[in-house]
Amino acid sequence: MILAEISISEAAVIGLVVATIKFATLLYLAALGETIAERAGVLNLGVEGMMAMGAVAGYIGGVASGSPWVGLLVGALAGAAISMVHAIAAVGLGADQVVSGLALTLLGLGLADFIGDSYTDDPRRALFTEVDIPVLSDIKWLGDTIFSTSPVTYLAIAIGVVTWFVFSRTSLGLGLRAVGESASTADAAGHSVTAMRMGAVMVGGALAGMSGAYLSTFVVGAWSVGVTAGRGWIAVALVIFGAWRPGRVAIGALLFGFTLALQLRLQPFGIEFSPILVSMLPYLLTVGVLIVISYRARNQPPPAPAGLGIAYRREER
Amino acid sequence: MSQPAVELDGIWKRFPGVIANAGANLTVLPGTVHAVLGENGAGKTTLMNCLAGVYLPDEGTVRIAGEEMRFSSPADALAAGIGMVHQEFRLVPTFTVAENVVLGSAPAVIDQDAINRDVAELAERFGFEADPKRPVWQLSMGERQRVEILKALWRDARVLILDEPTAVLTPQEAVELGAVLRQMVAEGRSVIFISHKLDEVTSFCDEGTVLRGGATVAASINIADADAAQLAELMVGSSSTPEVSPRAGTPGDAILEVDGLTVMDSRGLTAVDDLSLTVHAGEIVGVAGVAGNGQRALTDAIAGLDTATAGTIKIESTDVTNASTRRRVDAGLAYIPEDRLGVGLAPKLPITHNAVIRSYRTMRQGPFLAWERARAFCTDLIDTFSVKVGRLDDPMASLSGGNLQRLLLGRELSGEPHIVVAAQPTRGLDVAGVAAIQNLLLDQRDSGTGILMISEDLDELLALADRILVMSEGRIVGEFDPRATSRAEIGEAMMGAS
Amino acid sequence: MRRLVLQRRETPTRGGQPAAFFIGLLFALLIGAILLTIAGDPVLDTYSRMWDRSLGSSESIATTLNRAVPLALAGLAVSIAATMGLWNIGAEGQILFGATAATLVGRIGADWPGPVLIVAMLLGAAIGGALWSLGPGLARAEIGVSEIITTLMLNEVALRLIRYLQNGAWKDPEGFGFPQIEARPDQAELGQIWERAHLGVIIAIVVILAFAWFLNRSVWGYELKIAGSSPNTATYAGISMRRKILGVMLLSGAVAGFAGGIELTGTAARLNENISNGYGFAGIIVAALALMRPSGVALVAVAFGAVQVGGLSIQSLGVSSAVATILQALILFGAIGASVLSSYRIRLVDRKVAA
Repeated sequence: MILAEISISEAAVIGLVVATIKFATLLYLAALGETIAERAGVLNLGVEGMMAMGAVAGYIGGVASGSPWVGLLVGALAGAAISMVHAIAAVGLGADQVVSGLALTLLGLGLADFIGDSYTDDPRRALFTEVDIPVLSDIKWLGDTIFSTSPVTYLAIAIGVVTWFVFSRTSLGLGLRAVGESASTADAAGHSVTAMRMGAVMVGGALAGMSGAYLSTFVVGAWSVGVTAGRGWIAVALVIFGAWRPGRVAIGALLFGFTLALQLRLQPFGIEFSPILVSMLPYLLTVGVLIVISYRARNQPPPAPAGLGIAYRREER
Repeated sequence: MSQPAVELDGIWKRFPGVIANAGANLTVLPGTVHAVLGENGAGKTTLMNCLAGVYLPDEGTVRIAGEEMRFSSPADALAAGIGMVHQEFRLVPTFTVAENVVLGSAPAVIDQDAINRDVAELAERFGFEADPKRPVWQLSMGERQRVEILKALWRDARVLILDEPTAVLTPQEAVELGAVLRQMVAEGRSVIFISHKLDEVTSFCDEGTVLRGGATVAASINIADADAAQLAELMVGSSSTPEVSPRAGTPGDAILEVDGLTVMDSRGLTAVDDLSLTVHAGEIVGVAGVAGNGQRALTDAIAGLDTATAGTIKIESTDVTNASTRRRVDAGLAYIPEDRLGVGLAPKLPITHNAVIRSYRTMRQGPFLAWERARAFCTDLIDTFSVKVGRLDDPMASLSGGNLQRLLLGRELSGEPHIVVAAQPTRGLDVAGVAAIQNLLLDQRDSGTGILMISEDLDELLALADRILVMSEGRIVGEFDPRATSRAEIGEAMMGAS
Repeated sequence: MRRLVLQRRETPTRGGQPAAFFIGLLFALLIGAILLTIAGDPVLDTYSRMWDRSLGSSESIATTLNRAVPLALAGLAVSIAATMGLWNIGAEGQILFGATAATLVGRIGADWPGPVLIVAMLLGAAIGGALWSLGPGLARAEIGVSEIITTLMLNEVALRLIRYLQNGAWKDPEGFGFPQIEARPDQAELGQIWERAHLGVIIAIVVILAFAWFLNRSVWGYELKIAGSSPNTATYAGISMRRKILGVMLLSGAVAGFAGGIELTGTAARLNENISNGYGFAGIIVAALALMRPSGVALVAVAFGAVQVGGLSIQSLGVSSAVATILQALILFGAIGASVLSSYRIRLVDRKVAA
């Protein structure tokens, strides 16, 4: 057995768990935002761009105010602001969601680079620190791993719970889901399709922006060009992997976060396996899940919102 | 007399190239079931859409309980107590019954158990069964219709509009619907019942208004006093529908033989159940039945668009049960699909592209298509079948319904088929268009082609068919000679009288 | 209460798309000017430098043309898939894998004569690109898996595959430990035809014209249009949707992969993970602006090539080259706005809400 030959040090395991939670939080925030937009029927492939905007705005907001919390807020606002471009183009004007979303990625990455030009290599920092929770943080193992993380993780969990509650237990959530499944039905029932979709896109943008700000105030801790490194695409994948459900997306975030953590933390385990190959896993897993979903969809409605990607214009006949 | 629940006065509604309503009037009293009668295209649905907030009328007034209204959306109309059940249901398939019912008027925070209970109670009050927890995609069409009615009742609609509600119902379900409507009017609500079937109007309705050509020709007739023949004349007008003279065909050899055919629908339920039929050369075999009894699956399976799970389909003794659509065409099949724009044509592409869909394979030059030949073929088709078109490069969708169908039929017949399967070939066409299509089919029969014709219009089948088969729940439940059978007998069989 | 509504005009404006593109361009330049002003950069100097270095001289035009080649081919790939209503978001990955396959051919045929090797490498690139779209094509054709996400995911996989090769099997022994892939054989370089413009420009034009002609004239192209316009009608006409979907995805992938081969033999000396340089994504925007028409794709690609080349030149003025990225996105959004406005009228409508 190969396993027997691997000596696992305690520190390596702790490091892996901590990094997993760190990345899972990052992915979860952005994926949750995309889940909200997609449940309302709007595919937004601009996550990478919105994240980049959040990262640069979060960094600037953080160092200017000295508080990472302000950074997080500014990042969220920047994400929401730039997502309006997609909201107007794809929802308001009925442009193709795929094209508009990809252009948003381009716009977000470009703007972030442009704004962040003078902040590259800036030595200033506004960082979150790990929170120390009384009692829980003192538990052996758990204290050093699960209960040793930034407050943003708890915030992300809270937002996830709120999202789940809104979707499954409120009139607003019922309307949002209806808008995503069958816009004409929701319209006839008195929900404003345009307002709801625009709102969902902007909430999604805010969460992607928050995810980006978390990147520049905790995970990486600074701004640099390309700091998002394709994680926005993982978030898009995660929504599918999690079957458009906040809870399953959270589980997926942990799994995908684990693969990101493994890339950095594989060596301490002495495993002779390329971390680069590990980094392909989230994408390949998502393709696999998509195939399974489509295969099952022969007998039951697929989990994807039925109206996803379809622009809605009220019938004038 | 109490104040009318609904008053529509002088409603005009124009669409590009069409006047759907030309000064239509309607008055509905509270506590009555009011029929809105008229032929296809008489403007019934448009008028109701003007009442239900789907369209804004160009002219005219809408008064609800005496107050003038201007609805800019269905939600506005709902808020004023007007609910409409459209022919195409507006339901979210993945939602449960209860979620669909409360959508748009649910409490801010939803207690699932409470809404399930409330919806179940509401259903019970009006005397129909509905499991609030079932997802709508699992329901039959009749059950979905009940969810639509519940939606309106949940909002306490004072006026419920039903657009041809019985088209998707089994006879049993239609009876149940009648009981629900009675319960509603007993509570002082009004029901507007759109129909073009006289028999159901006489059994369900108190009063009736007849539309013709977009205008009201008779308002608020008392149905109990009315004479069916008189109503029918009001609907079709004094100039009776052009007669299609049935010419008795001389059946020859069997062309199409369907034996023990079984087809499943997308939900895995049996749509066509162990069905057998034969069509001979030179005869029109009509298939009558209430919509949704497997007609579409039957024609799609014969055409090769649906898969047979059991049984055989033979065209002139060639087994084509699982053959490709191409081999069926080669064997002599032509198909006039029910969904012309979705299945038979490519509406956005030019007319030429559409004209050669069946024959382009004969116009190859190596890997290339001989477009000059395609255009010549198209011009020929347009001349032969008198299709009115603009330019050949115009999109197919620019043609009117009648011209579309003429081109489609012409294209199918130009391949000199031995068997024509025609699904609802005259539906939605104007009077002249109907006659033209019917004559083409008769000519085709007289030249020795076998024709299987599916229609919901029993009168059409009585006029054209040499034999009528009645289809119900996926089976043939009776065969009739149209020259020796009354409408009532066939109607009874259609209702699955068992 | 009054509200704004969009009303579709009964007849769409003729010649709308070129006009929309130019309005989009103006819009982008205007917003760009505002951004530059806010950042304290010189607007006119920046724009005139961009013009000079992209279209202002024959030398810069040649550079722009070289840049337009991968954009046009990627755009063509996207528009081929679009004839069937499919979105090939994976041109980026297909370019990468096409270039990877061409590199493999180059390693095998390192001592073959130049022309033979170039042809073999370009062929290999096309096959590689087709292979990279085979999975998404099969999944879409056989079980209806959305090609949007599968092609998108494979972009990231292709990128990491090159990173893996670069650190492992194909690592350049002469790279002084720096992870880079061995350079392609010297003789496998496309010749220059005019200034610095390489043969790839001619090849791209020929490929685009050939496709435009073939799709319009051939039986296959006709079947594709029917299948793309109305799937049920295609089935009814005996056209196999499965085969058409797979065929179009393979062809689309092959064209994108071919672009990777042109890049490797044209402008790049060796395979690296930046060889696709966002061309795959920009190609989607190029194709969308050209309304998926091959000839339009070529023209828009030149415009985008110019913006990109211009963007690289302004760094020496101390202006961020990200301006070019922003401009490209803004052209699209501006054009979307313009084309919607040209097909709609905005009207104020009275609205009375029911009591």
